[in-house]
Amino acid sequence: MKKFVALLMATLMVLSLCAVSSAEEISTANAAQVWADKWADVDTSNHVVINYMTTGDAPTTGANDEMLAQLNAILTDKVNAEINIVWISWTDYLANYNLRIAAMDGSIDLIGSSTDWLDAWPNAKRGGFLELTPDMLAKYAPVTYATVPQDHWDVCTYEGDIYFIPEDNYSQWTNHGFAYRLDWAKEAGLENGCQTWADLTTYVKYVKETYGNDLIAIWDADGTAYPASGYITSYKKWRAIDGLASGALWGGYLDDPYTINNLYLEETDLLVEYAKLMKEWDEIGAWPTDVLSNTGSDNRTEFRQGKTALEQHHTQTWTGLVSPKADSNNTMYETDEDADVGFYYWGKEAGYVTRDLVTHGVAAVSAASANPERTLMVYDLLRNDPDVYALFNYGLKDRTYAIDENGYRYTPDTYVSDNDSISTNWWWGRNDDLEIPSAAMNWYAINALYDEYDAIAVMYPYEAFVFDNTMVQSYINQCNEVYNEYMKYICFGQYDVTAEEIVAQFQDALRAAGADLVTEELQAQINATYGK
Amino acid sequence: MSTINPRVPAPYSQKRAIGKKIWNSKTLILMCLPAIIYFIAFSYAPLPGIYVAFVNYNYRKGIFGSPFIGLRNFDFVAKSGQLWTLTRNTIIFNLIFILLDNLLAVVVAILLKEIQSKAFRKVSQTMMFLPYFISQVLVGLLVFSLLNSDTGFLNVVLTKLGKEPLRLYKDGSAWPLIITLVHLWQKTGYNSVVYFAAIMGIDAAVIEASMIDGANGWQKIRYIILPSLRPTVVILILFALGGIVKGDFGLFWNLVGRNPTLYRSVDIIEMYVYRATVSDFNFSTASAVGLYQSLIGFILVLTVNTIVRKIEPDYSLF
Repeated sequence: MKKFVALLMATLMVLSLCAVSSAEEISTANAAQVWADKWADVDTSNHVVINYMTTGDAPTTGANDEMLAQLNAILTDKVNAEINIVWISWTDYLANYNLRIAAMDGSIDLIGSSTDWLDAWPNAKRGGFLELTPDMLAKYAPVTYATVPQDHWDVCTYEGDIYFIPEDNYSQWTNHGFAYRLDWAKEAGLENGCQTWADLTTYVKYVKETYGNDLIAIWDADGTAYPASGYITSYKKWRAIDGLASGALWGGYLDDPYTINNLYLEETDLLVEYAKLMKEWDEIGAWPTDVLSNTGSDNRTEFRQGKTALEQHHTQTWTGLVSPKADSNNTMYETDEDADVGFYYWGKEAGYVTRDLVTHGVAAVSAASANPERTLMVYDLLRNDPDVYALFNYGLKDRTYAIDENGYRYTPDTYVSDNDSISTNWWWGRNDDLEIPSAAMNWYAINALYDEYDAIAVMYPYEAFVFDNTMVQSYINQCNEVYNEYMKYICFGQYDVTAEEIVAQFQDALRAAGADLVTEELQAQINATYGK
Repeated sequence: MSTINPRVPAPYSQKRAIGKKIWNSKTLILMCLPAIIYFIAFSYAPLPGIYVAFVNYNYRKGIFGSPFIGLRNFDFVAKSGQLWTLTRNTIIFNLIFILLDNLLAVVVAILLKEIQSKAFRKVSQTMMFLPYFISQVLVGLLVFSLLNSDTGFLNVVLTKLGKEPLRLYKDGSAWPLIITLVHLWQKTGYNSVVYFAAIMGIDAAVIEASMIDGANGWQKIRYIILPSLRPTVVILILFALGGIVKGDFGLFWNLVGRNPTLYRSVDIIEMYVYRATVSDFNFSTASAVGLYQSLIGFILVLTVNTIVRKIEPDYSLF
C-alpha cells in the first residue's frame, strides 16, 4: 500500500513538473483554461440533451438520479447541455446495440463502443458513426484531442477519417486466464499457486476430491467459453487479430506477426494435447455433466460465494475477485477466512502478455446525431473535468463514496447499495489523471501482478489494421459456426472419438468452410497495410 | 367507332355502383379494417424492402442507395453445403407438426364437445390452453430441469430406483421425439379452439336428426362432425403450408440451443442462420434467407392450392 502511494505521489510530481515546464501544452491539469479559450465563440444558446448509449442494466437508485441531476446542472452551466443515458441491457446486447445504431433516428448521440467486443469497425463501415475531423476534435474536444497521441488517432482512422475517440489513458488489463482459489491451490501442495496447466490440473483434481461435495461445480461452465487458444498461446507466442471472428482464429506469431495463419490449423499437436487434457478434466468432473446445455448458471457469482473454484475471464475481473470488499457478493471471505484468489493468465508459461488495444474502449458520435459538436464538448468534460469525472464515475461524495486521509476512495458506513450506488458504465473515456484509487481493492496483489505484466508485456501488433471483410465474410461466418461447434467438443472433452480424430475433423471442417481463403485475403490486406 | 350498348352502364354509373356497394357494406368493411391495415402495413408496404437482400447495406445510404451486390448475400447459406439438409429438416419437422397438430386438435375438440359437464369441459380446456402462454425460454429451462443428468427430475428418480441415469443431453437421437412432444404439449390446446368453434357451429338440427335416425356416438362423429370439419382442416393446412420452410426458432433454440451433440440431428434453417450470423450483424444476409424461405413457401402454397382446386374446388383458397 505504502509503495503504491509513494509511486502515485512520484508520478503526480513528475506530471506536475511536466505541466510547469511546458505551460503551453494542453493537459487535464489546465483543461479549464483550454475550454475557456476554445469554446468562447461556440454558440451554446439552445439547451440540448445528449443521449449517451452504453451496455448494461439501468440503475434504479435514488443516488443515481441525484448524481445525474447534479451532473446535468454542471453540464448546463458549462455547455448548456444535459446527458441522458440510454441503456442496452445485457440480454442479447450485441444485436440490440447494433439495432439501435442502425435505427439512425437521432435518438442517440454519444456511443460507447469497442473494436474487440462491440462492433466498432462494422458500425463505422456501415455508416453508423460520424467521421470526426481533426478540426472538429480540436475545436470541440480540445483537451482530448491534444492528449491522445497521433499514433492512437491513427488506429481510429479508416480510409482517412477518424471514427472514434480511444480510451487510451486508463490502466487496465483485459487479458484472459483462470481465476482460482489460491488458498486451495496451496493446500494441494502448489505453494506458488498455479504456474502451469499441469498445476491447474492438480488443483482441479484436489478441489474435486476435497471440496467436491460442498461446491456446485469446480467450474459451473455454460459451454460457451473456449480456452483452447489460451492453452496454445500459453506455450507459443502467438496473437490473434481481434474483431474478425468469434474466436481467436487468425493471427500470427509475435516474432513474425505479419505472416498470417490460422492457429488451429497451425498448432495441431498442442490442440490434440489440450483436447486430451480437457477429456481428463471432464472425467475428473470439473464441470456439470450436461455442460453444453447448462445455460442457466452464473459461475462468477457462485465463485464469489465460494461455491465454485474456477472462473475463466480477464485480469480486470480478477481484481474484483481478489479484493474482499470490491463486491457485496464476495462472501467467500466471510465464510472462509483463508480465502484468496490467484490468477493463471494465458501466456504465463511462455512468459508474455499483450497490452490492451487502445481501442478496447472507444467513444463514437452517431451519424444521426443532431448535435455532434455539443456531444464532443460533453465528452471532453466527462473525460477531463475533475468534478464531472468524479460524479460520473464514482457518484455522490460522502454518500456513494468517501475519500480517506491517504486520498483513497472508500465506501462510507452509511452506504446501502440499493439506495446509494450509481452506475454509468463509462468504459470509453476513463482517465488515469483523474482516477481516485479505491481502498476496497487488494492493491498488494493487484500491483504485484501488474508489475509482472509490465515486465513481459508486448504491444498488440495489428492496431493499425482494419479488415475489409466484404469478400470473405461468408467464409468467416462458416468458420465461426465450425469453430463454435468443435470448440464445445474439444474444450469440454465432449467427444467419443480419439483426441487426434476430433482435432482432424475440426481442421477438415475449417478448411471446408474456407479458412484458407480467409487467411489468403488477410495476408493480402496485411501486406497492403504494413507494406510487407 | 363502336356502338354503345345502352345496357352497359357508363363509367360514371359504374363508379357510383362501386361506391354504393362499399356504402352498403360499410359495417363489414369497418370490421375488416384492422386486418386490412395490418396486412398493408406489415406485408405489402415493406415489400420493396426485399431489395435489401441484394445490396451491401449502409445505414446512411439507405436500402436503395446502398451498392447492389447481386446474389452475394445468398452465398453463405449456399456455400455451407448444408442448405439441403437444413431445408429438408425444417420441412420434415413442420410436416410432422402440421399433421399431428391438426389430428390431435380435431380429436381433442371432439372429445371436449362430448364432455357433458360444462364445468369439467371448461377446466380441461383451460388447462390444455395454459402451456401456450409459457415463454419458450421457460419451456427450455423446464425441460432441462426435468431431463438433465445431474439434478434432473427424471434421472433423480431413476437413480433412486437404482437404475442407470439417461444421458439425454449427450445423445442427439432422442431429441426429434422430445421436441415434437413439447411442441404438441404447448400447441394442442390452442389449436383445438378453432376446431371446437367449428364443431359448435354445426347446425344442431343435423345432429339431432341423425340421432333420431338412430346414429350412435361413433357414427355421429364419423358421418356428421368429421365431414363438417373438412373445409376448416383444408384451410388451416393450406395456411400452415405457407410457413413450412420457416422453423420454430424459439422452441428449437431453447431446447437444444448451443449444444451441437443435440442440434446436429434436428438442425433447422433458423438455428443455422442464427449461429453463423449472430456475430455478424447483417440485415442483408438475414433478408436473403427470409426471402429464400418465403419463395419456397409461396411456391408450395400455389402448388397445394392447385391440387385442392382440382379435387374440391370449393375448398381452395383462390
